Amino acid sequence: MTRAADRAFTALIGIALLSSVILVALFLSLLSHLGEPVPALVLALASIGIVLGLASLARQLADTLALIRRLLRARVAMSGALATEAAALGLGDRIDLVADDRPFAFAYWFARPRVCVSTGLVSRLEPDELRAVLAHELWHVERRDPLRIVVARYFAAGLYVIPIVDDLVAHYDLVKEVAADEHAVSALGDVRPLARALYRLMPHAEEMDMGLLTPVGGLSVTEARIEQLVEHQPIVARLPRLHVALSVATLGAALVLLAGHTPLAGRLDILLAWPPAALIALAAVPGVAQQLRTVAHR
Amino acid sequence: MRGMPPADIGKLKRMRRGEDKFLGSLEAQVMDRVWSRGSATVREIVDDLTRTRQLAYTTVMTIMTRLHEKGLLRRAREGKTYVYRPAYSRQEFRAQLSRDIVRGLVAEFGDVALAQFLAALDRVDDRHRKSLERLARGDR
Repeated sequence: MTRAADRAFTALIGIALLSSVILVALFLSLLSHLGEPVPALVLALASIGIVLGLASLARQLADTLALIRRLLRARVAMSGALATEAAALGLGDRIDLVADDRPFAFAYWFARPRVCVSTGLVSRLEPDELRAVLAHELWHVERRDPLRIVVARYFAAGLYVIPIVDDLVAHYDLVKEVAADEHAVSALGDVRPLARALYRLMPHAEEMDMGLLTPVGGLSVTEARIEQLVEHQPIVARLPRLHVALSVATLGAALVLLAGHTPLAGRLDILLAWPPAALIALAAVPGVAQQLRTVAHR
Repeated sequence: MRGMPPADIGKLKRMRRGEDKFLGSLEAQVMDRVWSRGSATVREIVDDLTRTRQLAYTTVMTIMTRLHEKGLLRRAREGKTYVYRPAYSRQEFRAQLSRDIVRGLVAEFGDVALAQFLAALDRVDDRHRKSLERLARGDR
């Protein structure tokens, strides 16, 4: 599954970079025709993408810094159990324990990620369960997942007219967790400590009854992880056909417009330029809606 | 805390910095007074709060109606007025709030770039919960 996660991330970045090259080239080729209606429309759509991408980047960095600063103010000396388990996994100098009753564990920061664990988590778990959680986070640390998450979300926001990029981000969100789980099971040689840790930390049933958790379509990431632990089914990326069609059509339309605005080809006739421009505008509508929903849910 | 309507939780999820944002400043003061008294009418709360600040009767009435709608205050008509009582003790409310803030640790901070062990607000249905429980016990 580690390979599947790496493949998913490579596919995501590959498609994102290819799309970026085409759209940036189109953007630059149209800049000198700003006074005309079709270039003006396409440049406006491209500008929205630039704003969404930069806003996503700024928001992620600011929010992450705010969380880290607040949590690390509560940093305390490592407890015996945590120090032992962290050292056993080679995480000894890359772990922070924070005094907080809330049970959480996560990998954070970008160049050299660290693991943050709360006293609330340590007190709730048995030593082998704690080791399973740390092994899970170690996988994220080794792959610099916090950095990957920032980059993936940046592309998803900036390339809002290519909806499969957002779908590929969601797919990576799932496979990275399943791969980290597999790493933890393999490190401990037993699935039960990880299963017990997940079971202990997941929201209580009564919170579900109270409507605390938002119902969403399909499996949640945690549900899919449980299915993987139990059934080991391969995970296939679910790319809605409409999104694939819109993405391909947008890139095709961008290429047509780009070809029509090169010095060699001369200028594309305005009647021929409207359909591809309208297609990109059509893809922009669900793209913007999706980005707004994403911001609202986070 | 069972019985708290989903509307509370929706607000809680939008919360950014904990209890202060979950309860507005005036809501928190009203709850504080009702918890201290055990039960109170709008007039009694107005009298308590206007010792330190100017407040209109209708403002406090609106706040208490909102707290009732949120499920935090119960009320019963006694004669011509409503008498309000807390639906939960202060400890119950804080315990629930703190647990829910746990769930929303990352939601609380917005767009954080972290790889979390467990997504705070992820949904797990009963079938998956039981399946995980069997696996955790080792009898899958």
